[in-house]
Amino acid sequence: MKKALILLGCPESPSQTPMAVYASHKLSKMEYDVTMASTPAATKLLEVSDPENYYIKNKIDIESCLDGLEQDKYDLLVGFVHKDAAASYFITFYHILQCESIAIVFEKDADLLEEFKSMVAENTDAKIVAVRAFHNPTPLRVKFDRVLKDLV
Amino acid sequence: MSFCLETYLQESDDYEILLSRAGFKDCAKIIKERATEVLYINPGDKVLGVRIIGIPPIPVGVNNDKGTIIVSYTKPCHGTAAIELPVDVEEIENIRKIAIDK
Repeated sequence: MKKALILLGCPESPSQTPMAVYASHKLSKMEYDVTMASTPAATKLLEVSDPENYYIKNKIDIESCLDGLEQDKYDLLVGFVHKDAAASYFITFYHILQCESIAIVFEKDADLLEEFKSMVAENTDAKIVAVRAFHNPTPLRVKFDRVLKDLV
Repeated sequence: MSFCLETYLQESDDYEILLSRAGFKDCAKIIKERATEVLYINPGDKVLGVRIIGIPPIPVGVNNDKGTIIVSYTKPCHGTAAIELPVDVEEIENIRKIAIDK
């Protein structure tokens, strides 16, 4: 079974948690063993959203995950990029893992969105889902679905 | 026991935060401005027991006269900080071993 790592950033953006649950569900359906790496605050949001671990099977603290990360540990990296720090984390995870990657880039400010998108594009070969979004996860979901089709 | 940056920052007060809650690029800029020597490492390389987060090549400043280094330190919710702290000569040599060409 292939292994996927979903990397969450700071949970202050409302679209992140529902999209993380959705991404975990979609990848599980595609026969991926999915692990969610997140901060303690983001983990709490996931736990309340999925109280019986129906969609999210494996969770790991982002710092512990980073410490034990090595090349080829996962087959797919999916990262949420909505802050400068999230872009830096995604690029770092990408460089360590050296695996197929998808960056879900979203921001309500168009200039910041372009900046984060450029950071990822210039420093990785990841597929990029970039949407001007904050509260509404639907545009992200639609574009994410399109990118997933290329994985099959 | 090996040195741990996380523990050090919690228990010591002889370090200087040059910039905090900033973007990586701004921290990289101040590291290059405030160090007499700059080494470059790959994202995820360990300095003082911590994997350094950022965009390659990641600068690590060295001030040999003061016996300090300047590193970027990133947290998901707090952005990136540039921190100058005293280290042993041995630690500077460890950074040289993992340094890459810019």
